[in-house]
Amino acid sequence: MLSADEAADLIEAIASRQDRAAFAALFRHYAPRVKAFIMRGGADAEAAQEIAQEALIMVWRKAASFDRSRASAGTWIYTIARNKRIDLLRRTGRPPIDTEDWLTTFHPEPDDPDKSVLAGQTYTRVQELLGGLSTDQLIVIRMAFFEDKTHTAIAEELKLPLGTVKSRIRLALGRLRDALEKENEP
Amino acid sequence: MSRHPAPEELLLDYASGALAEGPALAVALHVALDPAARRLVERLGALGGALMETEGDAALDPAVLERTLARLGDVPVEPRPAPYVPRPGFEWAPPPLARYLRPNLRWRRVLGGFEEMRLSTHDAAHQISLLRLMPGRGLPVHRHAGTEHTVVLQGGYTDSTGNFGVGDFTMGPDSEHEPIADPGDPCIALIVLEKPIVLTGPIGRWMNPLVGRGWL
Repeated sequence: MLSADEAADLIEAIASRQDRAAFAALFRHYAPRVKAFIMRGGADAEAAQEIAQEALIMVWRKAASFDRSRASAGTWIYTIARNKRIDLLRRTGRPPIDTEDWLTTFHPEPDDPDKSVLAGQTYTRVQELLGGLSTDQLIVIRMAFFEDKTHTAIAEELKLPLGTVKSRIRLALGRLRDALEKENEP
Repeated sequence: MSRHPAPEELLLDYASGALAEGPALAVALHVALDPAARRLVERLGALGGALMETEGDAALDPAVLERTLARLGDVPVEPRPAPYVPRPGFEWAPPPLARYLRPNLRWRRVLGGFEEMRLSTHDAAHQISLLRLMPGRGLPVHRHAGTEHTVVLQGGYTDSTGNFGVGDFTMGPDSEHEPIADPGDPCIALIVLEKPIVLTGPIGRWMNPLVGRGWL
């Protein structure tokens, strides 16, 4: 396993000295996870492998943009993988978006006083949170992240009223907020 | 915290990458201007990251790493991007809008007393415009045939549903409304329309054929 700090060290080693050994270590940890994540959304193994490869090359290119005080390595790599998935969908007929722009928007401005919320041990908290969600809430959240569906599409697919899906999302996000705010307390 | 935040389920759609380009741009601008929305989107990023980490891994051919390493020689590690500096005349434009502001973009007067900049995107299902209203001026009474996303980027406006300032986000379909720009700086807003809006006032009805031709 790779801790959040170790992963951040590896990205910084790429940024400061183009460290290929650091890249290889990141690749071994994250490329199989990105591939699994993309396959969850319905892509075949070959396409998912290509996206994983492209996502990790983007990690190399953009390593200097990474800021460990603002996002954990896992969060940052997730956003890159998500953008690569959108690129794939673009080729299959979805309206394209500029994926690099999304990367920028995920970076808070330097004057944001509330940074580092997501750094460090947030994963532990979020994982605890996921364990605490109801099955109904978890299904909706997983469909959103893995299958790249809007809440409207999720409601249609589950044959649920839109209001039900909205309230499940809001309850789950309320718990997310509680879990992460706890972390900021001394 | 803005007085009119985007609904949380829409922020989830945005964070998971499910939105089309037009609505995604509207949410990106709201997120850029509203710290509370930004915090939630960041947390959603952490949630997505945690889901990806815990979902397990798929078998990967070891040769892929070798092939990837071999490609790195052609891929430079880019320097840290410079801080965003808005273009002169576009000081109100948050960073996510910058790439849409083509060099020849100008305010264009539109019948009805407001100005427009039409943004070109790849999103064929939405029409994306910047509107500018001088203080005290209004848009013709209109209702929305499809969903409309609005984000205020400068100044503010008031209609029967309330007062909207910088960063505020609204989403139709809604009842008829007649927004009037507040005193102070001209009101500038991004409008993302799913379908052309239908004007319902006496002048508006006359304008509908123009709307149909994409004037608005």
